[in-house]
Amino acid sequence: MARLDHEVAGIRCREVLAELSDYLDGELADERVEQINAHLRGCDNCARFGGRFQAVFTAIREVLAEPAPLDDDVQRSLHDSLRREIAS
Amino acid sequence: MTTSNTTDPTLIRRSAGGDTQAFETLVRRHQASVYRFLLTVAEEEAEAQDALQECFVAAWRSAGTFSGDGSARGWLLTIARNALSRAHRRRAGEPTSFEPLEALGARAGWGSVGNPDAELDRLAARESVQRAMSALSSEEREVLTLRDLEGFSGGEVVGMLSISPSAMKSRLHRARLKLVAELKEMDDGKA
Repeated sequence: MARLDHEVAGIRCREVLAELSDYLDGELADERVEQINAHLRGCDNCARFGGRFQAVFTAIREVLAEPAPLDDDVQRSLHDSLRREIAS
Repeated sequence: MTTSNTTDPTLIRRSAGGDTQAFETLVRRHQASVYRFLLTVAEEEAEAQDALQECFVAAWRSAGTFSGDGSARGWLLTIARNALSRAHRRRAGEPTSFEPLEALGARAGWGSVGNPDAELDRLAARESVQRAMSALSSEEREVLTLRDLEGFSGGEVVGMLSISPSAMKSRLHRARLKLVAELKEMDDGKA
């Protein structure tokens, strides 16, 4: 089992794991991004995991991009409810 | 007057003035998105259906309070979230199980990433994602849905959930790791 306290480019894998979302969301300072980029270039485990992590959410956004339309029963209940409210 | 091309803020303003056609357009435009959010966060489908009705009734009643500062969808989802909280009587600060981040990372595949293409093929099935989502807590599903499916910015989600930016980021990261872990375990045939 690979170890998360492995250090590459002055950063340990556990730090990269903890900051992965911030890194992918563009929430980190440029200097920190550079440090993590350097770590990823030298750490196969983090590079592979980060790539998969990002790919999973890209795929999920594509699969679930459009919400499913309401079922007829749910639609009917909603509109009955609103009709009563508007009439009251 | 046709309302299909009218902007959301205008629809809400006209709804506040009693324009039922404008309100109906607003409902039709956002009902699927609101219902998806509710279904994702609610513990039961019936709860989501009740909250959906309550949300749009509340939106009709409070249309005059829409400030126009944020998006209409954000406004509606905030109302929906409040409706669901009332329906569920969710207790603030309810203790949840806490899995260390490193254990979560290992479960999500850090150090043992398999064949990414095969795993991603599985995601083509909406059911797989929904099944994996069901293993998350309602708070985790909520932040994940708002940020990753609805596409709200971090700042918008912080405002909608009334939590600190660091709490939002921490919750989102754990939710993402847990979802990846659940998907991996489904792939490994453990779930």
